[in-house]
Amino acid sequence: MVLGLLPFTDRVGDGPLLDAAAGEELMAVHRGVAVALGARNLEPPGTLFITTKRVIWLDDADAARGYAVDFLSISLHAVSRDPEAYPKPCIYTQIETEVVEDEDSEDSDSECGDDFELSKVTEMRLVPSDPSQLDALFNMFCQCAELNPDPNSESEEENSWVHGDEEMAEGSDSEWQLTDNLGNPIGYTNGDHDLARSVLELQINDQRFEDAEAVEGETQADHHH
Amino acid sequence: MLFFSYFKELVGKEVTVELKNDLAIRGILHSVDQYLNIKLENTRVVDQDKYPHMLSVRNCFIRGSVVRYVQLPPDGVDIDILHDATRREARGG
Repeated sequence: MVLGLLPFTDRVGDGPLLDAAAGEELMAVHRGVAVALGARNLEPPGTLFITTKRVIWLDDADAARGYAVDFLSISLHAVSRDPEAYPKPCIYTQIETEVVEDEDSEDSDSECGDDFELSKVTEMRLVPSDPSQLDALFNMFCQCAELNPDPNSESEEENSWVHGDEEMAEGSDSEWQLTDNLGNPIGYTNGDHDLARSVLELQINDQRFEDAEAVEGETQADHHH
Repeated sequence: MLFFSYFKELVGKEVTVELKNDLAIRGILHSVDQYLNIKLENTRVVDQDKYPHMLSVRNCFIRGSVVRYVQLPPDGVDIDILHDATRREARGG
């Protein structure tokens, strides 16, 4: 998977060609939605297609113009109605891009230059001609984002740790994940060695827990039968 | 599941979510799911000089995977309950 915005031209009739093999399904269609990428001007209204995998915007007039972004790349989405923040009510999104560069920290201002590149766009605004669609759009974005949790970036071993508990959070590389793993009963079936190791990881990676040692002490005590 | 359970207790309270891209957003915690996706209401950006265009958004959904820290309201932290919960979690039950 490639992070960030991509050009999209695969059309079937008036709509996008979906990745049926990957189980992609259309969730919603909103006509009359204008798009603004980064700090660039609003582009003429097109049609927004929300699928189970991504957001696709197609220019109504120019079949060569269209954009797609995976929900996995959408870090944040929000309803913006404050005219000081943006002149028109819109869905504001932040997009995670593939390349991490220093100039990214300069924010979207760098995107209005001549070297505009789609893959570096970190913000996208979707402006429906009918602002009453905003809440429905927002909710649909939420629903689809939840359909797309991050694939686990940890090792295979980590994958097996979370497997078997449907409620377990997946795909986080944060310290929280280690804490979750610690609570996974599967850890116990692997014996004390793995448990002790994960406790060690907890101590190393999560120093915010003042009582990490106490937890370790108790846990080990519980296991000396 | 500790953090999921714990964050659910904070619904309705004001938290500050710091993203891995350094953006920090303050708002009322509306909901959280098992992926630690976070929904905030009545949000505002902490560093408004740096992010003027995000001055205020009403509703905001943040992917759990891009969250670096969640700053908790002091009155939302019951140390005793949290201690018990972490110990229970460590025992696996």
